[in-house]
Parts: sequence; C-alpha cells; structure tokens
Amino acid sequence: MTSAESDLEFIMSQIHARRRDPDFMQEVANTPRGEGLLSCIQCGRCAGSCPVGRLTLKYNPRRLIEMVNLGYKWEALFELSWLCLSCFTCIDRCPQGADVGEVVFALRSIAAKDGNVPKGALTMAKNLVETGHIVNPTASVSKQRASLGLPVQEPVPEVAKMAKKTGFSKILGLK
Amino acid sequence: MKYALYLGCLIPARELSYELATRKTMPALGVELMDMDGTSCCGPFAIQSLDYTGWLALAARNLCIAEKMGLDIMALCNDCYESLMMVNETLKRDKQTRDNVNEILSVASKKFKGTVNVKHTMDVLCEDVGLDKIRSKVTKPLNGLKVATQVGCHLVRPKMLHAGVGRGFEVLDDLVRTLGAEPVDYDDKEICCGGPLRDIDDHLSRTLSNRKLSALKRANVDCVVTACPFCYVQFDLGQLEIKSLLKEEYDIPVLHFVELLSLAMGFKLEGPQLREHRVPIDRIVRKLE
Amino acid sequence: MVEKSALVIGGGVAGIQASLDLANRGLKTYLVEKSPSIGGRMAQLDKTFPTMDCSICILAPKMIECFRHPNIELLTYSEVREVHGSAGDFTVKVVKKPRYVQADKCVGCGTCADHCPVELPNEFDSGMGIRKAIYLPFAQAVPRIYTVDKDHCLDCGLCQSVCNAKAVDLEQQPVEVELHVGGIVVATGFDTYEPFRITSYGYGKYKNVITAMQLERLLSASGPTGGRIMRPSDGRIPRIVAFLQCVGSRDQRFGYPYCSSICCKYAVKDAVLMKEHRADSQVYIFYIDLRVFGKGFQEFANRAKKEFGVKFIRSSPGEIREDPETKDLTLWYEDTLTRTVNSLKADLVVLCTALMPRSDSVELAKILGIETDRYGFLVPSNSLAEPVDTQVPGIVGCGYCLGPRTGDIPDSVMQAGAAAARLSEILMAGSG
Repeated sequence: MTSAESDLEFIMSQIHARRRDPDFMQEVANTPRGEGLLSCIQCGRCAGSCPVGRLTLKYNPRRLIEMVNLGYKWEALFELSWLCLSCFTCIDRCPQGADVGEVVFALRSIAAKDGNVPKGALTMAKNLVETGHIVNPTASVSKQRASLGLPVQEPVPEVAKMAKKTGFSKILGLK
Repeated sequence: MKYALYLGCLIPARELSYELATRKTMPALGVELMDMDGTSCCGPFAIQSLDYTGWLALAARNLCIAEKMGLDIMALCNDCYESLMMVNETLKRDKQTRDNVNEILSVASKKFKGTVNVKHTMDVLCEDVGLDKIRSKVTKPLNGLKVATQVGCHLVRPKMLHAGVGRGFEVLDDLVRTLGAEPVDYDDKEICCGGPLRDIDDHLSRTLSNRKLSALKRANVDCVVTACPFCYVQFDLGQLEIKSLLKEEYDIPVLHFVELLSLAMGFKLEGPQLREHRVPIDRIVRKLE
Repeated sequence: MVEKSALVIGGGVAGIQASLDLANRGLKTYLVEKSPSIGGRMAQLDKTFPTMDCSICILAPKMIECFRHPNIELLTYSEVREVHGSAGDFTVKVVKKPRYVQADKCVGCGTCADHCPVELPNEFDSGMGIRKAIYLPFAQAVPRIYTVDKDHCLDCGLCQSVCNAKAVDLEQQPVEVELHVGGIVVATGFDTYEPFRITSYGYGKYKNVITAMQLERLLSASGPTGGRIMRPSDGRIPRIVAFLQCVGSRDQRFGYPYCSSICCKYAVKDAVLMKEHRADSQVYIFYIDLRVFGKGFQEFANRAKKEFGVKFIRSSPGEIREDPETKDLTLWYEDTLTRTVNSLKADLVVLCTALMPRSDSVELAKILGIETDRYGFLVPSNSLAEPVDTQVPGIVGCGYCLGPRTGDIPDSVMQAGAAAARLSEILMAGSG
C-alpha cells in the first residue's frame, strides 16, 4: 500500500467513526415508545412481515433497529424512519416485544426536534396548530353541511395554546 | 344506546357520504348519536411522530369533552379510533403521564379523568346492536353481491391492544354476509393500503394500493368495501391517480361499509353522496334496486 | 423404619432409567405411567442426534427390562392421586384406570382392534395417524395389553365377541391401590407446544404446516406412513422443505421466553434425514441463532451444510401463506445476513416448537407438595448444589420436567441416574 492510499484509508475510517454515535441506542431507548428497542434479537420476523420491505430495498424494519444499535444516526433518523406505514404488522409478530413500529415514533420525534420532518407531515402539523384540524372543509363543503343540517367544523384555538406549552409550535417554526 | 359521535377531520371535510350514511343507519338500529362540541383532530400517526406529549394532550382534550357529556365515544375513522383508544388506555394506566398531560390540558381548562371508553362503529354494530338485529332490519338483501372487504390496519392491529374486543379480519366479512352479500377473499387482503405514506412517498403509497387493486381485480369482485376513510381514498381517488400515472384501469367501485349497510336497510344514497365517489358506484346501486 | 422401595412417576426414558437404577440396587420400584404404555417421547422419535441411531431400538430393550425386572412393578394407565408422609415413609394412593381389558388374559393379538368400527387420530402419532377405540398406542408398547378409550367407545361389544382370550371386560372398574414407598422420583417429561396462537404461520389452518413431533412420526418406519414422508394434504413426497426454529420458544408474546435447548439439534438431524429420504430435495433451516452446543453437534451441523447440502438461513419468517389449490406454502422472510426480503415456495413446513411441561405437572406438584416455576417445571431445592432434589426430602426429579437443561436423551438418562443415587442414600441408609 502506498502512503497516499493509507492516508486515504485513515481519512475514510475517521469519517466512518464520526458518523456513528455510540450513545444513540440508549437515547432512543429512553425516548417514549422507544423502550422495546433493547429487546430486539435481530430475528428478522418484522422484516419478513413488512409490506414496505417487500416493495423497496429502501426500508427494512430489522435494519432500522440495527442502524440504531450501531449508532448510524443519519440513516436511522432521516432515511429509514419516515417510510414506515404504521400498519403494526411487525408489532403483531415480534416475539420479543421490541416492536419496531413503536420505535419508529421515538426516532421521528428525535428527528422532529431538529425540524427534520417530511414536508407533507409539516403541512399537516401546521394546519393542526393553526386550525385545530389537519384537514379543513372547503367553503362549498361547509355550505353543503349547513344546508344538510350537519354541524360545521370550527377552528379550535385551544390546540395552539397546548402546542405552545409542549414546545410543539417551536418545532414547526411558529410562535 | 347513546354515544358521543367523534367525526375526525377527514370525513366531515371530504367524505360526507360516510357521515350521512352513519347518521341514517345508526338511529334506525337503536343507537343515538350525540354531536360533540369543540372537538379537534385526534392526533393521527403523522402527528404522533412529532410530539409524544403533544399527541397525548391533543387526544385527551377530545376525551375530556366526551367525559363531560358522560358518554362513550363512537369514532368513525379507524385512525381516530386507535389514536383515541391508545391515549385513553395509556392515561388510565399511567398516573405520571396522566399528571403531565393534565398539566398541559389546564391551558384548555380541561382535566382527563378516565371515565369513558372509545369504540369504533364496527364495535357498536357487532356488540351493542348485534348481527341478528341488523339482519332483521335488512329490507333489501344484497343478493349475493361479491364484496371484498378492506378492514384497515388500525381496526385490528396490534392484536394485543384489541384483545379485549376480540376482533379480527373476519369482522367486516361477517357484517357483509349478514347483509346478504358474499365476502370474497383476495391476495394480500390483510396488508396495508399504503395510505399513511401519502405525501411522504407517493410512489410507494401508490405501489401498495396498486398491488391491492390488482389483487381485487384478479378476485373478480363486484366492489370493495372499506371501514377506514383513508383506505377509501387510496382505493377510490387512488384508482384515478393510478389510471393517469401508471396507465392501469380497474373500475372497481369502492363503498364505505355504512353505505352498504344503509342500502341493505332500504335507505337511498342521494345524488351528492353518489357523486362523491370518484369511481362511480351507480351500477352497484342499480343492481340492488 | 425406612421403606426400601421407591415410586417413579412417568415412564419415559428418564423414568425407565431411574427405575432400572433403583431396581438394580435391590430396591422394589413402582413405575407409574399415565398412558397405556411406557416409552414416552423417545419412543416417538425416529432417529436420535447426532449418532442417528434408531430411537426405539435403543429404548425398547430398556422397556422390556423394566417389564421383566423382578424388582419393578409397572402400573401403566395409572395416576397418582394422593401422597402423604415423609422421606422413608410415604403412603401413595394410585388409581389404576380401567382398560376394560383384563391384563392377565390379553395376549396382544390385535383382533379386537381389527374389528373396532371407531377411528380416531392417534395421540402417539401426534394426530398424523389413526387408532381405534380399542388400541395399542404403538407397535412396541410395553405392556402389550390393549386399552379401550371409553370416551369414544360405542359400546357395540364387537371387540368382546371376537376376543379369543375373553379378555375384554367392558364393566371393569378403576382400582385404587395404596403403595408404601421410601422415596419418589418425578419424571413426567414434556408436551410440545401447539402454535395456534402464531396465526401468521397458519398452523391448524394449513395442512402442510406441521410440528417437528409430527414429522418424527412421518419419518418413523413404524409410523402412520411406514417411514415415507407423505405430506398431509396429498401424500406427495415433498421436494422443498422448510424448518422454522424458535416457534414459541424465545418468545415473550406467544409462547415461552426460554430456549428449549434441543430444537436446533434435532432440526439439523431431521434436515439430514429429509435429504437422505429424497436426495434431490431442497431443505432449509430458518434459524435465529444456531444453538448446536456440545460435543459433536457443531460438527454435525457443518456436515449437514457441506455434505448433505442443507441450506441454513438466518431468519425468522414473517408469515406463511397457502395456495388454496395446490396447498403449497409460501414463506415471506428476510435473510438477515444478505439483508434481502425474499419469498420461498415450499411443499412442507416443519415448525420446531417449544417444549413445555405436561399440562398436569402443576396439579401433580400440588399433590406431592413440591414447587413448580411459573411455566410448570419443577424447582430444585438448590439449582446449583442439589439440582435433582425438590423441596421435599425423599422426592427427586429428573428429565425434562426439571426444565430445558441440555434437554437431550443422554441428559435425561444422567439425571435419572442422579435421582436414583439420591434416593438410594435415603433408602439404603444404614445398610452397610
């Protein structure tokens, strides 16, 4: 090996080492809904059950926990955890109660603290804080509801108040 | 039987037919539905992902409204049902969490006490009303209509959470049979429709619903019946999206299970209700007349 | 005054060995067995691992020795009802359930069974074979006396009329005997877990998903298919076979959290046997960890891979689906080493399920006044220093009822020896 090659190898190993966070596994295990993580024995039953895993190499619930255990924060938080459907098939089948479908929520909430959230989810959340609902009826639908004698959906300002108290609005960049 | 009716946001804004059919059929089966004042969103999975305590408080606020009414909740949407139910159980069980949440609820002048339960329409139909009574109210049996059911993940999973209710994938099949139709099996019946990935990864979401729709086509069904308004969107609007983006055409009518129930009970689906369906359901309605 | 006699409860290999060890020391031994014949689980097996010896060929001579031994009295089809007293002086009430066949007259010819009109699934064949309402549980049964299953008997009397020895007595009553013994050995063994609760595997729904014990019966030359592996739905000899490990073991949710100790070992053995039965077959073992500990077993597993071509896949499959027409099965799994999600079409799936204590082990423990753990296994008085002793002096245990230790046959035989030795200390004290 030339000296240039060994330099390159050294630099790559440093990049790899810095990519990994040895405390990440415990951080996730201490986050609500992440507790089951420590029970995982990597048996792969979840991956054999996951509908997304069957369609794309991008997502694999067992690998998600593997990434968390190894401390690969970037992959776990940003590449993998947003592809889960929350269909809970994995939870139905996990023999150890690791319940990766629940761990996913813990991971997402960690990602959300830094504002790293898919645009679609962000839009829903902003709507929620501003109106109290994720989906709001259009004006014509409201008129239709009124004409049918159905209760009209009102905005709920209390939600904004609660969001402020939990710090949720800060995540969304709202005041 | 009296319940506080929790509508959620999707149904009252986009799927009025679901709501109207429910409001017609339930009283005819002896279930009185009381509207709730001032409800907000329940905190579905996209929201749960962002703020755990925020979600608990959001859902709990709605539970408090029902507690004040002194009534159990009947939720229409599968996701609303599971969100409210999970929060209800968590807060009833864990005092520390309950105290934390009540602290947040104080800004909304509310306090969670844990005095009510949360049910889905299917629960009310199967437990309170009972299939026998439903059968007795069927005036227009569905004449062996070949119906595929899409129960939706959150009505039955995770099994442990629904253990007390003892409900499985056959629950919607049983109802369909009671109405005189024939439930048909199809591949991948128990797999998710892909709805939750909408707006997050549309390609994957569409691939999943396409997979299910092609399984439905292979099974030669007359229509598919959904319990969850999300599954409905995936299959109904989804067919139009698939037609334009993937060039696949299915033409499988999608009905809410309460619409099927209301047809079997002799109610009519009005024009606006029919027009809501992106894939026309006229031929189904005509078949049953 | 110490009674120089012992009671052994359970007629499997552990109970048989304990009885022989005690009897050979000159102690009168009563061997009580709940089912009509001694033999237990070992009699149900085809071959043992890793030596691939014929199981019943090794066991049957011991069974006959028990039957013939002057110091051993076999009480089969009998149950222990009450126990009083203490070490050296126990009084035990045993009920001999009515066989409706007179033991001293029956010659075991089988004419009665030939004529019996009732057919039922055979417990010994784990439901894979048929027996009649009057039956011998298996060909090598000891004692060779037929038994009438009154719950399913039609009372037609045909057996009685054709029996040349006039042995059938449909009016027979249970007989209660009182035994006075100095010590008791518990050797009640295990049941296999039936994984109905793991609904994604389809056990009970899909005909070609069977348990390992059911496979043993298909493999056995004296089994319901004469040793031909005929799969349940259509009798075809399967070409693609999948073994699934840890079904109900290492499972906090649906079964038992412990590892059952022997399943990885017997799966390797059974996989090799499948390859021997059909050389062009593809045999897969789906495992989480391959726990083939101890001398000879890793070597055996390596041979299975290299010489016999058994394919090992590190994966616990997510679900099994059945093709409604062919009854073939599709397994969905992730190969955790290559990290790819795949499906496998199989003709036959064998679930290696958990081993659990017998369903009545807790009740028996109450009768004896000994402790069981939350699964029903016996709790030793000191698991390190006194591993076969129970809380009651004079009562010892051996075999799988103590829990999954090494769990295999040599282990049970060794523990039986230990149990017999412990009792001998009490029973032969002061006999220079």
